[in-house]
Amino acid sequence: MMKAEPKTILRFLLEHYDVIAELFETQSNEGIIKFEVLNQIVSKHESDIRSQLIEYKILSPVNDNYEIRTVYFNLIEFILSEFKPMLPETIEKYHTSIAELFRKIRENINGDKVTLSQRLNDLAIEVRSFYEMVERNTQSLLQETRELKANVKKIDYREKIVRASRWIDEYIIPLNKILDINHSTSVANKLYEISELSNKYRLNFDDENARIQFEKLYFQLIQVNDNLLRQSKILTNELLPLIERIRTESIILTGWITYLKNPYKRKAPKLLKRKEVSVYSKDTFFNASEIFEQFKNETDVYFEEEENEAEKWIFDKDHYTKKLKDNLPVDNFFSWCNKTLKEDYKKVEIEKFFALTTLAFDEDIEREYGAKPQFDKIKINDLTLTVPKVTINQQSQLIDPNHGIS
Amino acid sequence: MEFPNHHRQIVEDLMAGKFMLPNERTYQTVKDNEQSYTYFFKASFNYELRLTQDYAYVVSEESAEMLSRDICIFIALLSYELDRDGKNFLERIQFSEFEMEEIENYFTNSSYIDLILSNKQLKDADARKNFINTLNRRNIIEKTGDNRFVFTSAHKFFVDFATDIVKYENTEKEG
Repeated sequence: MMKAEPKTILRFLLEHYDVIAELFETQSNEGIIKFEVLNQIVSKHESDIRSQLIEYKILSPVNDNYEIRTVYFNLIEFILSEFKPMLPETIEKYHTSIAELFRKIRENINGDKVTLSQRLNDLAIEVRSFYEMVERNTQSLLQETRELKANVKKIDYREKIVRASRWIDEYIIPLNKILDINHSTSVANKLYEISELSNKYRLNFDDENARIQFEKLYFQLIQVNDNLLRQSKILTNELLPLIERIRTESIILTGWITYLKNPYKRKAPKLLKRKEVSVYSKDTFFNASEIFEQFKNETDVYFEEEENEAEKWIFDKDHYTKKLKDNLPVDNFFSWCNKTLKEDYKKVEIEKFFALTTLAFDEDIEREYGAKPQFDKIKINDLTLTVPKVTINQQSQLIDPNHGIS
Repeated sequence: MEFPNHHRQIVEDLMAGKFMLPNERTYQTVKDNEQSYTYFFKASFNYELRLTQDYAYVVSEESAEMLSRDICIFIALLSYELDRDGKNFLERIQFSEFEMEEIENYFTNSSYIDLILSNKQLKDADARKNFINTLNRRNIIEKTGDNRFVFTSAHKFFVDFATDIVKYENTEKEG
């Protein structure tokens, strides 16, 4: 029994709204109001209203702590529009209660009129509660989603993906099923069935009072149906795309942020390398400018000194002196050098050629030139040398300094 | 031997590494002759034709790796900065026009400035201007003025890559 007048309680709520709102917030966050927290809040506002809170049944004790009674909690929640989304399982329970009442009404349609009237009344209450819960859930999901989109709580992208995925899988899709009139086990489908029956009996039923109740139920269901359709549209047209976009965007951004951590170590997607650059094509200008643009952004290039892997060639003077002496007299010394090297090696390098020509300076060698200087051309790889014609005999003779290699 | 309409244009464009877009008549021809063109590019150049509802392009083992990497960095940075600025980055990239001034603002004030400065194609305004021209030639963007451009549907090629990174990382973690 409540001793206090209703107006007294309402006035009390108004006067101490700040305390009650803070208690509401505490319970919303922590699930319960601890004894010491209650004391803190009350003393902070300098109004010891603990006894009234109990007396007006606003708070009820739970062990040593307190909680706001459901009726007040729902009232404040409603006033503040601060609903937490409910799991669709909680809403799904209406399917059972509505279906059960409907079954009993249909089976006992010709039974006791008072019971029928009570059941019709209860059914109307259940339908209204069901709709209110759906509406609250849709609105709170929408609000939470918008907050997530604006990222008010500054949560990171991975957490966003998780949250968006959870809302889609655990809230939106199941809620949509509940509202899907084409789904045989959905609440919406059950409401449609009730609506058909109400329509039938509102026009044709022997008890006038029941007929009026059926009519009331029928119009309530039309209204609820319209509202549910609107909620369903919000879910599918607004909420689902919004939350899907949050999820997609978060996935893409997570991918990009991961990539930006070290883009030089990650493989990039394959892009065709342009190969053919035709000078007469209409794209010549662009192709050329693309090539030149690359030089605008020159990168530093480092070369490592290559080690010469070729074996170092050592001139075997004794071997070639012997070979020269065996071939004496040699009519044209430089030609002989070239010929001898070609016999020994596939490729004649200029250094080998110069090494061999040093034999001409041997003191044991006699060199002979004609009265007039004569010149030959000798080709070693890509180099053409103009050399004097020198004949070699045994006796020693000096080379004329005017007959050098050019 | 008969070839489909615009055959020469198709081969020239795709061989130039361009993305072919659904609003181009050549795209429709490729779509109508997908099988033939897949075979044609494979047999002639050992290239793989990829056709999606957003673009057609060819890919080979020999890839312009550096350009691809820089395009990824560019789109990644732009997406990040747009999001940081409270914009719907995906919607903006899909549907809006960008001015170079806006790009410059984002890049010069980015927290990724070290990465930007170390990248030859993105390091300063001139480099970025040239880079935008490169994107234009590849049909990844379309220039709508001297200093304005819009992204074409080819940008999805790179966005899909970002999604794949997350998928790959998740698979790695699960594995």
